Amino acid sequence: MSRITVGNESLVGSLTPSNKKSYKVTNRIQEGKKPLYAVVFNFLDSRFFNVFVTAGGNRITLYNCLEDGAISALQSYADEDKEESFYTVSWACGVKNNPFVAAGGVKGIIRVIDVNNEKIHKSLVGHGDSVNEIRTQPLKPQLVITASKDESVRLWNVETGICILIFAGAGGHRYEVLSVDFHPTEIFRFASCGMDTTIKIWSMKEFWTYVEKSYTWTDDPSKFPTKFVQFPVFTASVHTNYVDCNRWFGDFILSKSVDNEILLWEPQLKENSPGEGTSDVLQRYPVPMSDIWFIKFSYDFHLSSLAIGNQEGKIFVWDLKSCPPVLVTKLSHNQSKCVIRQTAMSVDGSTILAACEDGTIWRWDVITK
Amino acid sequence: MASGASPSSSATRSDPHKDTTTSQAEKRAPGSKEVAAVIDSLKKKLAADRCISIKKRIDENKKNLRGVTQSFMRSCVERGGGSSYKDGSDLLVKMQRDSPGTKSGSDADKSNNHSSFLEDGNNVSSTSTAVQGSSVPVKISFRPIKMPDVKRLSPYTTWVFLDRNQRMTEDQSVVGRRRIYYDQTGGEALICSDSEEEAIDEEDEKRGFVEPEDFIIRMTLDQLGLSDSVLEELANFLSRNSSEIKARYEVLMKEKEVSESGDNQAASSLLNKDMDGALDSFDNLFCRRCLVFDCRLHGCSQDLIFPAEKPAPWTPPVDENLTCGANCYKTLLKSNRIPVNGTIEDKTGTSSNGAGTKTTSKFSGKLNRKKSKTFPSESASSNEKCTPETSDSENGVQQDTNPEKVSSSSKVKASGGRGGRKRNNNRVAERVSRRTQKRQKKSEASDTDSIATGSRSASDVKLKDNEDATSSSQKHVKSGSSKNSRKNDTPVEDSKNSVKSDDPVSQLNAVASEPCSDGSLRKDEFVGENVCPGGLSEDKSWKPLEKSLFQKGVEIFGMNSCMIARNLLCGLKSCWEVFQYMTCSENKASFFGCDALNPDGSSKFDINGNMTNNQVRRRSRFLRRRGKVRRLKYTWKSAAYHSIRKKSTDKKDQPCRQFNPCNCKTACGKECTCLLNGTCCEKYCGCPKSCKNRFRGCHCAKSQCRSRQCPCFAADRECDPDVCRNCWVIGGDGTLGVPSQRGDNYECRNMKLLLKQQQRVLLGISDVSGWGAFLKNSVSKHEYLGEYTGELISHKEADKRGKIYDRENSSFLFNLNDQFVLDAYRKGDKLKFANHSPEPNCYAKVIMVAGDHRVGIFAKERILAGEELFYDYRYEPDRAPAWARKPEASGSKKDENVTPSVGRPKKVA
Repeated sequence: MSRITVGNESLVGSLTPSNKKSYKVTNRIQEGKKPLYAVVFNFLDSRFFNVFVTAGGNRITLYNCLEDGAISALQSYADEDKEESFYTVSWACGVKNNPFVAAGGVKGIIRVIDVNNEKIHKSLVGHGDSVNEIRTQPLKPQLVITASKDESVRLWNVETGICILIFAGAGGHRYEVLSVDFHPTEIFRFASCGMDTTIKIWSMKEFWTYVEKSYTWTDDPSKFPTKFVQFPVFTASVHTNYVDCNRWFGDFILSKSVDNEILLWEPQLKENSPGEGTSDVLQRYPVPMSDIWFIKFSYDFHLSSLAIGNQEGKIFVWDLKSCPPVLVTKLSHNQSKCVIRQTAMSVDGSTILAACEDGTIWRWDVITK
Repeated sequence: MASGASPSSSATRSDPHKDTTTSQAEKRAPGSKEVAAVIDSLKKKLAADRCISIKKRIDENKKNLRGVTQSFMRSCVERGGGSSYKDGSDLLVKMQRDSPGTKSGSDADKSNNHSSFLEDGNNVSSTSTAVQGSSVPVKISFRPIKMPDVKRLSPYTTWVFLDRNQRMTEDQSVVGRRRIYYDQTGGEALICSDSEEEAIDEEDEKRGFVEPEDFIIRMTLDQLGLSDSVLEELANFLSRNSSEIKARYEVLMKEKEVSESGDNQAASSLLNKDMDGALDSFDNLFCRRCLVFDCRLHGCSQDLIFPAEKPAPWTPPVDENLTCGANCYKTLLKSNRIPVNGTIEDKTGTSSNGAGTKTTSKFSGKLNRKKSKTFPSESASSNEKCTPETSDSENGVQQDTNPEKVSSSSKVKASGGRGGRKRNNNRVAERVSRRTQKRQKKSEASDTDSIATGSRSASDVKLKDNEDATSSSQKHVKSGSSKNSRKNDTPVEDSKNSVKSDDPVSQLNAVASEPCSDGSLRKDEFVGENVCPGGLSEDKSWKPLEKSLFQKGVEIFGMNSCMIARNLLCGLKSCWEVFQYMTCSENKASFFGCDALNPDGSSKFDINGNMTNNQVRRRSRFLRRRGKVRRLKYTWKSAAYHSIRKKSTDKKDQPCRQFNPCNCKTACGKECTCLLNGTCCEKYCGCPKSCKNRFRGCHCAKSQCRSRQCPCFAADRECDPDVCRNCWVIGGDGTLGVPSQRGDNYECRNMKLLLKQQQRVLLGISDVSGWGAFLKNSVSKHEYLGEYTGELISHKEADKRGKIYDRENSSFLFNLNDQFVLDAYRKGDKLKFANHSPEPNCYAKVIMVAGDHRVGIFAKERILAGEELFYDYRYEPDRAPAWARKPEASGSKKDENVTPSVGRPKKVA
């Protein structure tokens, strides 16, 4: 759709796999009949690098990935309300580095689970509609941001259950927000994208005192002076359709729209005039048959490769280190026919999990030669 | 586009080409193949460059990333080791450790503490083993931990609070934009846009030239020379038209020249800018209706309406002994001991004689002196300005004896068109004269009729009087002869032509440097000695901006050099300098006046002539006579009232008309835009107050404008203290006092929207559906509750948005008038949550408040504290969604009912 001007072409990856690495199915789990929307490895605590969590229906389940392809269930949580359908889940940490799991879904309530005590730590109420994605700030894992259908992004402190900031309003998203991600190094910065086809970069630098205040707040969370941030520092229109997943890749952004490709692009902000800037699309990673929305990709801890499923149950593994893009491998299995909503790569990239709409989890392990 | 960077970067790329291509450039009209080849090679080169640059950037990023992930890893390990791993108190660690390293799901069950494997419904009840690569997936199931139910909030979209309506900004528009709607359940896509082309067109417009395109254009044309075929080929390649490319090439060449020749355009000093430029942004950004910059309601770049009547300048309460600083003219005057007193005495007598009501005469000599300075200089300034205009007419000689004649002649000049400056001059001149009038008004008895027509006669008198004073002071003739203000009726013959200035642009300078006739020269010298020796030389050091600032200052503060220096020329000129400049220019100008005038007459006409419109003046003169009969206004009011009521009743079912101020210079005639549009003229119109199309306001007192007896109320308008005669309120805590002459203690009750006197509205979960609005305090019937604010969008836009809102079955559209619809979806206030009910306790009403239509919500009955607010959305029957249709007993179900509605429902008042 978007016209490519001469000299600003981006490098498009070829769909011929290099087969540098290959994976095989080692396990398959049927969690239930309800579609699974999210699967996430723990990247916050080295003890739990093998633990992953899934979200689907009214359930949140924790699993352990074992060495030889086995998967063991650790914990499972179910919302008493059958209407709930969790769309997203993320790991977080309390101030004592105790692991938390934060999940949200159609009801718009964010459930923060204290997995060490097997109970709900907080239920964060505030979003006016369903929550589409939760992400944790890796440098301060008590902070999570949530993207919601109510066109807002909210920043929460899961330890104290406070809604610190709301990113919405005059310069905010104009339709459902589908994905958010924290910048890896700049703690104040994050990117959000959604159905309004834009990707917005926000800064909370001026509001950082409120973030600090949220740690020591002892009063009722509803009395916290939650602030509105109405204007992003940059709005990019690199896509022309729903953008349902964006992730930082250093200072670049990987983003996926529903037109069968992931873009790697560089936001070029003008420091002196906030709100202005240009975006330069550097690389394109084609992903055939992924033109429905709510398909999310993932990369490993070292950001060396990226995995994304498509609506036919195939997984594409792209090498993120190469230029131009190289497809590592294409994973397909004759029984995997269902939409893969999200993938999860383990810390070293040796395991890829796929959460499918039919409620199955597929485990792929790398074949060591 | 990065024009600064492009020449340099592309220059390096192009170096090898350049040598070979200079010869090619001489060749005429190269073949299209050749052109294509050149373009192609350039393209390849660009692509290669691009590839390299991408690689470089990605490598750099990669390097950074390594550090990032390493530090993440460290913190992960810290988190893992830092907590109590050893004692096994971490449940998850224990579970993880206990979970056996087999592939069987049944083992996993052992690891948790639940004994039973009951299912919660959907899951298959038994556990099974995992077979690697088998066709049967492992089923994992065990009893989950229950999360207690938390009630969800009713759905809403984040919205921005507005305390007043706002016009939609461009980026909010959904017109011409592709909007894809996915159904909540099915995932069916619905594209809400008229056509694909519409969206693409918009993209087209935005396309600017990017650096690589510039490069190709420049290189190709450098190589092959500028010819049509090359341009065409390029245009083809870049999918633009060739004229565009040619223009761009010229721009590029210019840029190149500039960059080569170095930066010879030194940053121009702030002082070199002129006033017009500065005022331009003021004119574009300042809203004359809301008196704020960047008004969100009326938008920027509004039509500039210059009222035919101007307000008086602000005059501060003057303490004569107070000086504005070390350089205050008062201090310096005192120290200089300039002998001006004799003159002043004379003049004082004059002025007090002339006007009879002048307050200055009652004060001390010092004040008199000051005043006397003020008046001549006023006339001087206006004279200065009129000088170039009169000279334009080439009839220099002001032999006129008739005021009408003079003013008409000057009108011709004004319309003769002096470009941008004309407007400015007119503005200045108008204000000056107007100010004089006002001052006069002020000095009259306090019970002066506030109607302009009433005071006009007096002000005219005053005007003349000032001139008298001026002339007398300057000429040192006994001014007693000129005190008679009626003298202007008698024909006066002009003694001398003094208007000689040839240059219409440099007003003050022209005046200053002008060769003067003997008589006037003499006077000039004389006055110069008196007040400002060396004033002429001083004059030269004034920059154009300072001069125009000074003029503005005169408009605003009158001849108060302290105020002008402090507020407008702060840091540029001292009070003393301003004073000197003022006096000098005034002297120069005033002898113009003196010469042009026989004692009183023509000087005044000069001022009048300078007014933009003599017809206004004539009109006002006419009215002056009428104005004396005070009872006349009642008839005026009622006359207007009837016509207004007629309008409102005639078109009861039609939407109201959006008001846009007209720019009529005179009383509105048939061509008046307001009249054509079917609206009344408002105070924002250019037309004079006497305009027959104006809404005259009300004259209610005891009724407090609460019933249809009040013409404002009856016309669905709020009272306006600027227009209505008796409408007033006690401001704030009452410390400002009550205007005494209005008496009676009946405040107007029809200004609640204007004054934002709304009730506290609370947002809560509705008893019927979704969110609702509740009242905090009890109110009585017909009480104003609050305003329904939102974005002002066009009907076209509303149709588009309505399609989407219908899908969500939640619409916040409200028909405002023929031009706008209010949309509170994204921006609004809490009253947008008030639900619909066929038996409501509130009603909505579109009211005209200070020229804008606004929606007020009023109590239909007595409402107790804490009650939920409902009003009838009054959807058009055929368009109403199911929940809003009359027969339905259940009343309003705003969000729950999923029956799709046809058309676009909009609330109507």
